[in-house]
Amino acid sequence: MTQPLLADYFPILVFLGIAGGIAIAMVGGAYLAARQKPYAEKLSTYECGFAPFEDTRHRFDVRFYLVAILFIIFDLEVAFLFPWAIALGDIGWLGFGSMMGFLFVLTVGFVYEWRKGALDWE
Amino acid sequence: MNWILALPELVLALSGLAILGIGVLPKRNTHFACAMAAVGAFLLAAALAIGAPEGSAFGGQIVSDAFTRFAKVLILIGAAAGVVLSLDYNAREGLDRFEYPVLLVFATLGMLVMVSANDLMSLYIGLELLSLSLYVVAAFNRDDERSAEAGLKYFVLGALASGLLLYGSSLTYGFTGTTNFDRIADALSDPSKASSGLVVGMVFVIVGLAFKVSAVPFHMWTPDVYEGAPTPVTAFFAAAPKVAAIGLFARVLGGPFGDLAGQWQQVIVLISLLSMVLGAFAAIGQSNIKRLMAYSSIGHVGYALVGLAAASEAGMRGLLVYMAIYLLMNLGAFAVLVAMRRQGRAVERVEDLAGLARTDLSMAVWMAIFMFSMAGIPPLAGFFGKMFVFKAAIDAGLWTLAIVGVLSSVVSAFYYLRIVKVMFFDEPAGALDPRPASVSFVMAASGVFTTLFFLYPAPLVAAAQAAVAALLG
Amino acid sequence: MFVGAVFFPLLGASIAGFFGRWIGDRAAQLATVICMVLAAACGLTAFWQVALGHSSQTIEILTFVDVGGLEVSWALRYDTLSAVMVGMVTLISTLIHIYSVGYMSHDPSRPRFFAYLSLFTFMMLMLVTADNLVQLFFGWEGVGLASYLLIGFWYEKESACAAAMKAFIVNRVGDLFFMLGLALTFWTFGSVEFSTIFGSIDQHMDATFAGFRAYEVIGVLLFLGACGKSAQLGLHTWLPDAMEGPTPVSALIHAATMVTAGVFLVARMSPVFEYAPTALAVVTVVGASTALFAATIGCVQNDIKRIIAYSTCSQLGYMFFAAGVGAYQGAIFHLFTHAFFKALLFLGAGSVIHAMSDEQDIRKMGGIWKKIPVTYAVMWIGSLALAGVPYFAGYYSKDFVLEAAFAAHSGVGTYAFWCGIAAAFLTAFYSWRLIILTFHGTPRADHHTMEHVHESPAVMLVPLLVLAAGAVLTGAVFAPDFIGHHWEEFWRGAIVNAPHNEIMHHVHEVPEWVPLLPTVVGLSGIALAYILYMLAPSIPGKLASTFGGVYRFLLNKWYFDELYDAIFVRPTRALARVLWQTGDATIIDGVPNGAAALAADVARGAVRLQTGRVASYAFTMIAGLAVFVTMLAFGAAR
Repeated sequence: MTQPLLADYFPILVFLGIAGGIAIAMVGGAYLAARQKPYAEKLSTYECGFAPFEDTRHRFDVRFYLVAILFIIFDLEVAFLFPWAIALGDIGWLGFGSMMGFLFVLTVGFVYEWRKGALDWE
Repeated sequence: MNWILALPELVLALSGLAILGIGVLPKRNTHFACAMAAVGAFLLAAALAIGAPEGSAFGGQIVSDAFTRFAKVLILIGAAAGVVLSLDYNAREGLDRFEYPVLLVFATLGMLVMVSANDLMSLYIGLELLSLSLYVVAAFNRDDERSAEAGLKYFVLGALASGLLLYGSSLTYGFTGTTNFDRIADALSDPSKASSGLVVGMVFVIVGLAFKVSAVPFHMWTPDVYEGAPTPVTAFFAAAPKVAAIGLFARVLGGPFGDLAGQWQQVIVLISLLSMVLGAFAAIGQSNIKRLMAYSSIGHVGYALVGLAAASEAGMRGLLVYMAIYLLMNLGAFAVLVAMRRQGRAVERVEDLAGLARTDLSMAVWMAIFMFSMAGIPPLAGFFGKMFVFKAAIDAGLWTLAIVGVLSSVVSAFYYLRIVKVMFFDEPAGALDPRPASVSFVMAASGVFTTLFFLYPAPLVAAAQAAVAALLG
Repeated sequence: MFVGAVFFPLLGASIAGFFGRWIGDRAAQLATVICMVLAAACGLTAFWQVALGHSSQTIEILTFVDVGGLEVSWALRYDTLSAVMVGMVTLISTLIHIYSVGYMSHDPSRPRFFAYLSLFTFMMLMLVTADNLVQLFFGWEGVGLASYLLIGFWYEKESACAAAMKAFIVNRVGDLFFMLGLALTFWTFGSVEFSTIFGSIDQHMDATFAGFRAYEVIGVLLFLGACGKSAQLGLHTWLPDAMEGPTPVSALIHAATMVTAGVFLVARMSPVFEYAPTALAVVTVVGASTALFAATIGCVQNDIKRIIAYSTCSQLGYMFFAAGVGAYQGAIFHLFTHAFFKALLFLGAGSVIHAMSDEQDIRKMGGIWKKIPVTYAVMWIGSLALAGVPYFAGYYSKDFVLEAAFAAHSGVGTYAFWCGIAAAFLTAFYSWRLIILTFHGTPRADHHTMEHVHESPAVMLVPLLVLAAGAVLTGAVFAPDFIGHHWEEFWRGAIVNAPHNEIMHHVHEVPEWVPLLPTVVGLSGIALAYILYMLAPSIPGKLASTFGGVYRFLLNKWYFDELYDAIFVRPTRALARVLWQTGDATIIDGVPNGAAALAADVARGAVRLQTGRVASYAFTMIAGLAVFVTMLAFGAAR
């Protein structure tokens, strides 16, 4: 009973193995082959252009967040499109229409942010 | 696929998108046009809601019956009045951005989805759409510290409540194997299925909803948010979302959890008791009238929940009638609050109403009518609301609840009458600015309803009766 | 049209009441009068169609209350009984509106007067067309309110305010019983609709309440309610005082319409009363006693309006005992004719007062009949009708009432008959005493007043003449329909006589001396008055001093006001003082003051919970959640 189920997941295990191998190869290759000149700034944790440890009551530029939020919305849209594209044959015109509706809503939002100048940095 | 059943929601969704798209395109200020379009959309949706056929759609996700019709019409009235009240205020306070009506349209859409939800999923989607819109409008005056604080507090606590609600939903799903209300009810009709895990899940759901109606002890956000948010926003908060959330309460507890009435009744009795008492006492010391109205609304929710606690047909009917009356008289009272401006600035202290009877008699009289009605003095509408729920409680044997309700009405009468006394007997604090016609209209419409309800209560009671019949199936 | 008869007066009242200040006195008067004329046209057509044309109907207007088992709607019930009342009320009200245009021409707040008058008319019509007891009660209270407003119309006069309050409070005593009766009716029949009640009379025949038959209790309670409104013995004290109001008001409210509402109520509820013999006996005894009692007082009063007021009280007694012996048709017929000649008498008295520069004491009048001949003539006609002189309206109805009492052949019936005969004698006596003292003899008013005596303007005389025609003709014209051979097809079940009640047939079989006797005593009363006041004016004074005790007893109205003062008013005051000083000042004030202080403390505590910190808010929520879960977890375990 459990055997065929696990067998279905075997390709994933293979993928995991290959992905891990490639990652180790790249990091290890860089470690071995590249020139290294470490300094304090380079070694510190990277966090969206901010110093990781400082007072929480601090002025920051909201534009970073704006861009991040806008990015997330459209990122999720794309993530949503993949399973839809795969299943389109099964869900038919209703599925197609639903996604078009979803895209329409996002488009209206896009028009709004564009007109409001959220996409202009300056 | 029965699209027709969701027509009011679809209309609101499309109008919201259209107003957003069209409102942003021109260079000039489109606030007024957008607000008018929003009111139009509300009225159209209300007309569609009245004529909506009955049935369920989208795989049982939403349902349309006499109950949704009743709740939707009330919500849309409240929402339309909310937009009308904001027109002048927003223009004067520099808040006349077209996003405001758009957000109210989306909030209203969320409410409509909430009351027509027949599934924990659609319930949550509606609730979140409402909440997200409300977080933003609470902080709409973003340059004002208090408004921003209100929005943030509401957001943080609202997220917590949403989390609790979702957790309760997942527990319910785990124990019954479904999120559909009808099938949950089927599953619970077998008493052996009512495990304690399910009861805990139900309590979490109740808590999530109690937060939305600001019932004690989940009310803590209410005074701060009511005080901080711009006055028309507070008016909106106190009206339509309350009706929607109470309606949802009735739907969830009366429908899927109907067979667990013995359990949830205890919780509701306690919530109702605490809300009535706190609403009555905490408001006494308030000098800010918006804060006072926040406690008043907590108290009113307590009274309304008395009807729910009775867990009977008469109780549910009382609940719905109470909310309808509450909605309309509250809109009138907030119209007065919105009209409180002196020398171009909004004022919101009780003392600012001093001697109103001598500077603006008609407004003072309307306000007095609303205050008397809220205190439950016959023959004004508020009296009948209270009478229906207390009678239902007594019939259900909940004497404690009815007695505490009457006593806390007496206590709360103190601060309502204090406002009347300040308006009529104190030395005038200077004339208020002339009020705009839109606000006067809401005030008068609500006042006429509150005053004359006793002449012809039958249609409202009959509609509530039909709604309850649909609810309890 | 049926709706119009009822709602035109409301329209007029609204126009005059709400807009009177802007549209001016003349326009307000005109508006109410036009509305009343329209209403009268509708009302008379309704009378024609329903009563004479035999087409009853009920018109639904709105649902008023629909809660639980209690369903009450606004509906107009037009059967013969209400059509008679609607026709009479609208016609007389219209005439009085017109008369008031002249009578009130010097008053500064005329729109208010006309608004109240029209409002009263609307409420009265609501009362008589009611389809259920609750609506009837609405009209009942409405006319009480309008009566209060109109008695106290000259509110700057202290006596008027006191009289208005007295009328209202005494009526309230009656209304309490009415409400109890209403509640008991609902308890017994499960409905307040007349059609339902009358339809299920047979089913609840044996229902009991507190050991008594429910019908008897309902009957007595409703009758006590009627006593208040119709000023019957015991609750009559407000009516003479109510004469503080303007004279047209006395004519409309305290003679023709409102005070007869009690009689109407008994007739309307006749299906219930028919099966409540004890209640009917009570009605008969009280009615007969009132008829005699009020007539005795009327003989010695000196205020022209009070004499007529006591006369009204006495005539209402006639109507009640007619209803009490089961001859409701006779009661309504007497009500109908009485409305005409009593309104005529009041308006005539108003005309006299108008002529005499607001003098009301008949001892200060006299010798003016040549100066105001029309008024003199109509007062004669009214008095002839009142005294029941043959072929005037009162003759037909009063004779019938007395014959019915005789034909009842019961103890209370006989009592009523002899009381009625005695009262008829006294009625004739005081009517002519009034006429002779007012119009004949030597002028007793001062010179200045006598010079100004003048006939009233045409706008006042025309209504007088119309009413005079009514006082002459209504009896002869309508007697065959109301009480004569056509009575069954005229009423068509609007008034119910039980199968065992055959009084309407027995009336025509009384001995020959019975119909003659009222006429004889009436004429002898007139003769006595003529002898005492015209031929030998010194005798009354001597009689008064010889029988000083009796005279003072009558003059002081049997000491009813003093009695009530001693029994009710003073103990109530004393009790009130005790309650005020110990009960109110120490206990009632003390407890709330303590409670208020406590409430303030609680409020401070409640406010302190509100820290403003989000973390503590969230903590409260979670704590609440934990409490609920624990509560239910233990509850589930239990």
